[in-house]
Amino acid sequence: MRLPGTRYQEPGWEQVRKLLGQCSLDVFSRCDVDALLAQGDALGVYVERLAESLHAASRSARAQAAGNSYGDSVVELALLLVYELAARPGDFDAFRTALPPAHARGEALLRKKVNDMFALLRDKVDADNYQAACGRPCSPNRIYAYRMLDTAYGELARLFAGWREHHAQVGAILGRGLDGALPIEVRQLTSIAGCRPEWILRWSETLERFTGSPGPLHTRSKRFDSLKGNAGKIGEMLLEIGEYEALSANRDRDWLQDLDTSAAWIEDYWRVLDESHAAATPGPDLILEALQDERDVLDVPAPAAAAGEDDPVAMLRAESVSLPPGFVLAAGAAQDPASWSARMLAGDTLAVRLAVYARLLGLDDDSYPDAWRDPATGQLPTMAQLAALDAVSLPTLRKRRDAAIARLQDATSKGRIT
Amino acid sequence: MKTSSDIDRKLRERLLLAPRVEGDRLMLGDAVLLAALDGSRALTAGERAALQGSPLTTRRLRTLAIERRVAANDAWQGSHGMLRAADSGAALTRLATDDGFWRLHFVDSGGARRVILQLMPEAPFAARLLRGGTLLRVLDGAGAEVLAGRLDLDGECECAWPFADDPAAHFQQRGAVFCVQPQPGPQP
Repeated sequence: MRLPGTRYQEPGWEQVRKLLGQCSLDVFSRCDVDALLAQGDALGVYVERLAESLHAASRSARAQAAGNSYGDSVVELALLLVYELAARPGDFDAFRTALPPAHARGEALLRKKVNDMFALLRDKVDADNYQAACGRPCSPNRIYAYRMLDTAYGELARLFAGWREHHAQVGAILGRGLDGALPIEVRQLTSIAGCRPEWILRWSETLERFTGSPGPLHTRSKRFDSLKGNAGKIGEMLLEIGEYEALSANRDRDWLQDLDTSAAWIEDYWRVLDESHAAATPGPDLILEALQDERDVLDVPAPAAAAGEDDPVAMLRAESVSLPPGFVLAAGAAQDPASWSARMLAGDTLAVRLAVYARLLGLDDDSYPDAWRDPATGQLPTMAQLAALDAVSLPTLRKRRDAAIARLQDATSKGRIT
Repeated sequence: MKTSSDIDRKLRERLLLAPRVEGDRLMLGDAVLLAALDGSRALTAGERAALQGSPLTTRRLRTLAIERRVAANDAWQGSHGMLRAADSGAALTRLATDDGFWRLHFVDSGGARRVILQLMPEAPFAARLLRGGTLLRVLDGAGAEVLAGRLDLDGECECAWPFADDPAAHFQQRGAVFCVQPQPGPQP
């Protein structure tokens, strides 16, 4: 399923989820989980190690596979989600709280809790992506509802395609008896946009009769309360999925690329702030009311447990080698001292500066000069290597890095930078 | 290789877009954001604070700003400029288009005159022209080609001055106007 802005709603998500589970277990297998989670900056440590593990696994077939139809690979989507987690401590706290004590958990349970965390996070992230892309309010639960409807349509289309063997169920969905001739509805159904909401309602209503388990709109869960019996709302959502699917299939890829890579909008952002500072429109403020999304009833069942994990992918672990002699000098010389970030970070050590870049742009970005890269990995040095450079502990380096980022953040959001 | 402005640009974008606020939502409607973008209604102080406190609303502003820029770029068919009265007399060193998005610089290096076309970074179509490698032409008032080429990464394109007389005299004799145009036809 594709919706405006969403990245994590296509079948490739399964591989993203598995890669995150695999690399999380890799991280946990090499440390004392409870000790890690008890640290003050447990989230920071976890994110850092998970990102390193993902980078190490990034050449595996699973990591390189397409994660969606926009051209994002599985490992790219996984890394993005990890950085989203870094910015959402609440989600990580929920994971920590949900984890039973060490003696009561095995690898499978650990993996399931990681799965749950990222499964909830992907819908939060995509709800935000959707809102940024089209300007309409959207909650994670609404994304979940779109997906339920998309899955229901897939199931219904499968039944229609095999209408002879499923004639009783198809008849129940259509609300009439079938006489043995190809039903016209079956012939006409070619896309989710043409799926009638009554069919979805009747499919859900009769599912228990045919399969033994109740349909998603007929459980006692409050999750889909606002859709229950509401053909109008279901129809709107089906149509939206179908229309965007058609639109995005024909869309000019270059244009999408432009949207993603142009940073010129920051000039516009600063101009908007400057003009408001210079001559603010007198009140009243036109601030949107918070819409209580009626779908946002929190009765969130844990996502379906992971199916059997397939064979483990060999991990290409970059050994943590020491940096070449002369690294500090060469790397320091490779930075243009007149650049904005260099001036803003002038009071910080090289290690702190590189840690800032790594945190914000990732270990590997095509804008990095070669002299910043560890020849052994082709990427920026890891946090452990950087801490060693400054002869400080990891927590100290993190603290300094985060302070530097806060300074940059403050300067950027205030307005134009000269 | 020195670090480029590329890093700073990416860094600033990330600094604006990366933060997440628990319970964040769209604080400003598209109408308010678009009016602020096109300058017809500046944000109130309260709206400004709401924008700065909401990374999600900032991301929505980004989408609208980029769409606006793409539309403006698609609409760009060329820019025109003229020689001002004040430009005559002293040696001509600089001309600007009426929309302010382009400058022509004239430099004299050891007897060899050169002309430099410069794109102002605030031009709404700047990012696209830079990335797209669009072939550009500068024409004088008689339609003769002053310069043709693609912009470099700094948004500049430089050639030898192709005429015998100096720039001021040349433009004066040809209606005192000039234009910058995208070259029609297939682009790379």
